[in-house]
Amino acid sequence: MKKLAFALSLLAAPALAQDFSEGSTAKSWNLYAEVPATFEAKVVDVLCEFTGDCPTDCGAGKRQMGLLRSADNVLVMTFKNNQPAFSGSAVDLAPYCGMTINVDGLMLDDPDLGAKNMYMVQKIQVDGGEWKKASQFTKVWKKETPDASGKGPWFRRDPRIQEQIATHGYMGLGPDVDKAFIADWY
Amino acid sequence: MRKILTALACLAAFPATAAEGERIQVTGELIDTWCYYSGVMGGPDAVVGSAHHTCALWCSAGGIPVGLQAEDGTIYMVLKIEQDDNLAGGDTALRLASHVIEADGMHYERDGINYLVVDSVISDLGITNLNHEDYGPVPAFAIPKSARQ
Repeated sequence: MKKLAFALSLLAAPALAQDFSEGSTAKSWNLYAEVPATFEAKVVDVLCEFTGDCPTDCGAGKRQMGLLRSADNVLVMTFKNNQPAFSGSAVDLAPYCGMTINVDGLMLDDPDLGAKNMYMVQKIQVDGGEWKKASQFTKVWKKETPDASGKGPWFRRDPRIQEQIATHGYMGLGPDVDKAFIADWY
Repeated sequence: MRKILTALACLAAFPATAAEGERIQVTGELIDTWCYYSGVMGGPDAVVGSAHHTCALWCSAGGIPVGLQAEDGTIYMVLKIEQDDNLAGGDTALRLASHVIEADGMHYERDGINYLVVDSVISDLGITNLNHEDYGPVPAFAIPKSARQ
């Protein structure tokens, strides 16, 4: 029984919290639960991991991406890139679909909210080369949205967002609710 | 002992692959996971519902994962909605931002995170959490000055 318990403890070892902060040069975003983390991982399409529906390009930036960490085989969910622009990480990671890369960024670890193994990718390194910032979203958006007019950040000019707000209002409850709220709130 | 270690080594090398999903029906709001978990825009009650709708649109269009916050508080990372697997900025998730939906789909759990592949949106209840009355727009700049006239 002791031997079995020992063996089980060995199995449990990788699940224990490991420190991936050593060597990280991630920039703080002053988030309550942020922990710097740098590690090697395989870039995966998360939907593919679960369902076996696996396009060769991991969805080309349109599917959510994960990082299968080499040290412990933990599937880390990525949900933010390096830009302060309401931008995810899929377009930054999809070009590396199936490749093993190094990443640096911030892990969110907040037991109160249930945040675990959720990651903001700030930098990517391939084959020991130069670290590149994970900041591709706005470039890709600009390329895919050539007709967006006006000035200002992408999220003010995005035609799909503009259409939603024009139809359903800023609160999503209709223009009449917006009108009454704005008159009362400001 | 050697046999046990060998068996455990095999298990460790191939941890529970998530292919073992469970069919569930779950009702909840489609939320913006970055703002919810990071706290960057405020507490968890402020970054959902009508108060946070515009920001939820921005984050959804920006490719941030959409979560389904169930009535019991569980949050599922949504990977697909019906035929639309573009959950990083796709149209379906954008259209349903902040809506409460009743979903039928496959639930997977791995490494502390719940995932949901929605096969069917049984019902779309729209936006039901009218918390803009308490919090105003979150963030405050969600409604631009030009729209406040």
